[in-house]
Order: sequence, then structure tokens, then C-alpha cells
Amino acid sequence: MSYSRREILETIRMTESEHFDVRTVTLGISLFDCGSQNPKECARNIGEKIERYASSLPSTVDEVAEYLGIRVANKRIALTPISLVSTLPQKESYIEIAKEVDNVAGELGFDYVGGFSSMIEAGFTKADHALIDAIPEVLTETKRVCSSINAGTTREGLNIDGVIKVASLIKDTAYKTRDKGSVGCAKFVVFANAVSNNPFIAGAFHGVGNPEVVINIGLSGPGVILDAIKRYPEANLRELSEIIKKASYKVTRVGEIVGKEVSKKLDIPFGIVDISLAPTPELGDSVGEVLMAMGIETPGAPGTTAALALLTDAVKKGGTMATSQVGGLSGAFIPVSEDAAMIKAAHEGHLSLEKLEAMTAVCSVGLDMVAVPGDVEEDVLAGLIADELSIGIINNKTTAVRVIPVYGKKAGEIVSFGGLLGDAPIQEIRTISPAKFIRRGGHIPPPIVSMKN
Amino acid sequence: MDKRRIALDVARILLKHLPQELSQETIEKIAAEVISLIEGNSSDDDLKRRLAVLTVIGRNHSGIVHSFSEILAENNVDIIDINQTIVHGNFAMMMVVDPTDAKVDFLTLKHLLKERGKREDVGVFLQYEDLLKELNRM
Repeated sequence: MSYSRREILETIRMTESEHFDVRTVTLGISLFDCGSQNPKECARNIGEKIERYASSLPSTVDEVAEYLGIRVANKRIALTPISLVSTLPQKESYIEIAKEVDNVAGELGFDYVGGFSSMIEAGFTKADHALIDAIPEVLTETKRVCSSINAGTTREGLNIDGVIKVASLIKDTAYKTRDKGSVGCAKFVVFANAVSNNPFIAGAFHGVGNPEVVINIGLSGPGVILDAIKRYPEANLRELSEIIKKASYKVTRVGEIVGKEVSKKLDIPFGIVDISLAPTPELGDSVGEVLMAMGIETPGAPGTTAALALLTDAVKKGGTMATSQVGGLSGAFIPVSEDAAMIKAAHEGHLSLEKLEAMTAVCSVGLDMVAVPGDVEEDVLAGLIADELSIGIINNKTTAVRVIPVYGKKAGEIVSFGGLLGDAPIQEIRTISPAKFIRRGGHIPPPIVSMKN
Repeated sequence: MDKRRIALDVARILLKHLPQELSQETIEKIAAEVISLIEGNSSDDDLKRRLAVLTVIGRNHSGIVHSFSEILAENNVDIIDINQTIVHGNFAMMMVVDPTDAKVDFLTLKHLLKERGKREDVGVFLQYEDLLKELNRM
């Protein structure tokens, strides 16, 4: 037999019984040739370009998945940040474009579109202002369009005026989508050091240095890592790291094959595999459970950050070997509402916002899918965002905030979003105010990076 | 000189020395083959064959192997290798098959086998070998 019985059965076990899927095949599309000072025409150009490149992707992905015997959960599109596409810089233009994109993507069978985005780390253009003004309405009135803002980078520092605007748009979006648990906020993320080839929502966009079109892959796979760890309850931490590396290699390899195959069939270049562990609310598919299997009683206990650091690092090491190019965010996501064990820990009061913030210093992104009381003050929200982004800026890593101030809800209550977005316990946020600091406004200069202490 | 140019030049030389009645189509075919030769893609049929792995797992009862090989035979799918065993009363069969010349396409074949799996009350998995190869071999 050309394959051993063990090899075959292990592969079947992985693909069939460990919640394993490729989370997303994301098609990046450049919109630089779609500009027009007539917003209607610009929207039409964008719609046509998406159709031209994306129409056969969903069926091709399904076919490849069947051939290989695996599941692909989502198909997504990442667009050039819309603020960079030349059009009349007014709010209405961007709403028009968002609606067109939402329609086209829906008709073609895509789950989400990212790229309704602005880069404001060093200041605003007219287009940035107009686009930011449009975001709450776009998140309310479209289904699939996701938005992101990059408010800081290690090289440019942090745009605090931008952070204030972001806090305000988040509150506004929460209010506008109040009848659905303020879910509009789940489609928005604010970044420091955003990456231009991230296939994951809500932060996907097709960055400036990218080719005309590109295929990027986002993985999932906490279940596979969990299963591997559970088989070795006695392993010491050095051995545990090796076990995680091997499991991560396999998970990543699947993404690599899917990417290569889809790329070949569609004749679109293959970009990167993002080796992030992306959990789902299902039991057994949780990064929190992985931490627990490693020996942490519940996420949030002292030691959680160390365990997460080991996990993230081992995932990266194992995954890097398995793909021709790693990219995106790559590590372990810790979205609270999308992860069964994290939901439980937060609900029981073990996982505070402060502990989550510490964990983001070593995870792959940041404060993700965190629900806070709807009456949180804008300045407090801005303080939370500024803190999180500063961690990324100083440490030369990507950090982000996807926070949902759930309208009308208080700490301790639960809001249910359904699907991959899961259930979020409303977490307590301190109400002591950073207002005087934040309202000084302006810009926090970029840090010096040579003195690493 | 790029490979395409070389290929076209070769085709042109062949054309000069071969009978006049060669059609445009034949010339293009020659060019294509030369290109693939230069690029190192053999047109050899064997290399194009993509094998698949059929795994059947479930409660043991008589006739399972027969039941599935019947479908394979009916649809002209060649069995390259077969391994069957009983683990703790559970039946496990793994076959490497060649669906290249099958009468039906891959997805139809998969569907037929899965349907048979329901009748036999066993789990059926059919996948191209890519995943196995890439996961287990460096």
C-alpha cells in the first residue's frame, strides 16, 4: 500500500471529526482602475470588476473542497481600501459603492467583503473623512460589507484624533443596529500595523503592494491542535511545543493545497496562507479549550498569557514550514464571542478585559469580539482602543479592537449574534475616565524601536 | 531566448522539412508539445494520472468489499491497491484507485459510493490523494 493505514485513518480523523475546515478562501482584487468622479459610475466599475474576477470562484472552491475531501467555510473578497479609490469624496459616494459591492458579492455567493477601509495613521484625507462618516450607515444597511481603519503604525505613531472618530462611529453603529444586538460593530475593526494580505474578516483588505488579483487562504483548526494536545497529557512544555508544531504543520498544509489548487484552476496568483487558529463557537473548536488542555484551569487564570505565547509561537513555527508563504495575521485569535471556552470564562468573570488586553500582547491580533455595556462613554472606548493599539505600535506587531457596545445591555447580560459570531457576555469596563488625556487630541509620535526594554 | 520563442522556431524548422499539407492545427500541436517538453512537463499519460483514496469504515458484515468494488468495476475505476482489516469488530478498508478513465466524473463517483455507504451502513470517504501525500510526506 502506498499509504499506511495510520496515515489514511489519521487524515480522515482530522478532516471528518475535529471540526476542521479551511475558514476562508479570500480573493483580493485591486480597484485602482475603477475610479471615477461620478460615484455611480465608480460603483458600477467596481461591481463589474468583481464580477469579472470573482464569479467562478465560489463554484471552483466547492469543487476543490470535494476533490480533496475537506470543508471550506467561507468565500470572501478583499478590496483595495475604498478610501484610495478615486471618487467624489463625500459620504454618499461611499454608501453607493458599498451597496453595489454588497449586491454583487451576494449574487455571486460570497459571505463577506472586506476593504471598506481607511489608512489614517498619519492623518486624514478628504476621502478618509467622508468614508468614516459613511461607515455606520454602511454597516447598518449592507449585509456583507466589512470595514476597517488603520489608526496607527510603529513607523507613524498613533492618530488619536482618528481614535476619537473611531470610538464615535462604533457607538453610532451600535445604536443604528440596536435591534440586532448592535451586531453592526462586529463588521468593523480598528488596527495598529494592519497587514495588507489578511484574508480574515472584518479586517481583510487588498493592500497597495498587492497584484491585480490574488488568492489568500485563512485557516481554522483549533480542534486539530486540541486533539493533538489531549493525546499527550504528560508531555512537558518543550514536548508540547513540538506536538503543536506538528499539528500546525498539517493544518497549514491543507490550506496550502487548497490555495494552490484554486489558484491553478482560476489562473489567479496564489498569495499567502494565514496560519491563524480561528475558533468557532462550537464545542471542541476553541482556542480557550486548547489553553485548558495545556493545563490552564480556565482562560484568564494567571499563566494564560504564557500558555498563549507558547501556543502562538508553536503554531507559527509549525505552519511556516508547511506553506510557500505565510502572511496575514498568523497566530492564534482570541475572539471572545466566537469561542465556547472564552465565552464561559468571560461570563463567569474569570476573563477580565484587562487580562484579555495582556493576552493580546502575545496573540495574533487583539481585543476581538468583545461586548461591553451600551452606555460606555465614548472617551472610555477611545481609551480602550488607544491602549490596545499602543501595545501593537510599541511591540511592532498587529493589534486591533473589535468591540461591541451593546445598546441597552448591562455587564453580565449576554447577547447572541448567531452563526460564526456566536454569543457575547457583556463584559465590565472600568468607567474611570481618560477623557482629559484623549481630548487633548493630536498624534502620539512613533516610538523608538532600538531600545528594547 | 524565452522558451516560447524556441518552441515556435522548432515548429517552424519542422514545418520547412515536413510535407506541405500540414494543417495549422498540427503545427500548433507540435509547438505545444515542444513547449511542454522544454518546460519539463512530460505528456506521458502515466504522469497525468491522479489517484484517489477510498476509505470505508463501519460495522463489519459480509460483502462490503464486493459491494464497493462492484461500483468501481461498473464505472471503469481501476483498483491499484487495497488493504482491509478488522479493528475491534470494526471494518476498515482503504483502497487506492485510479479514476482517470472512469465513466463518470469524480463527484458523481463520490456520490454513488456515498449512497452505497448508506445502504451498507458504513462511512465512505473518497478523496484525491493530494491531501494524504502533502500531509504525510515531506
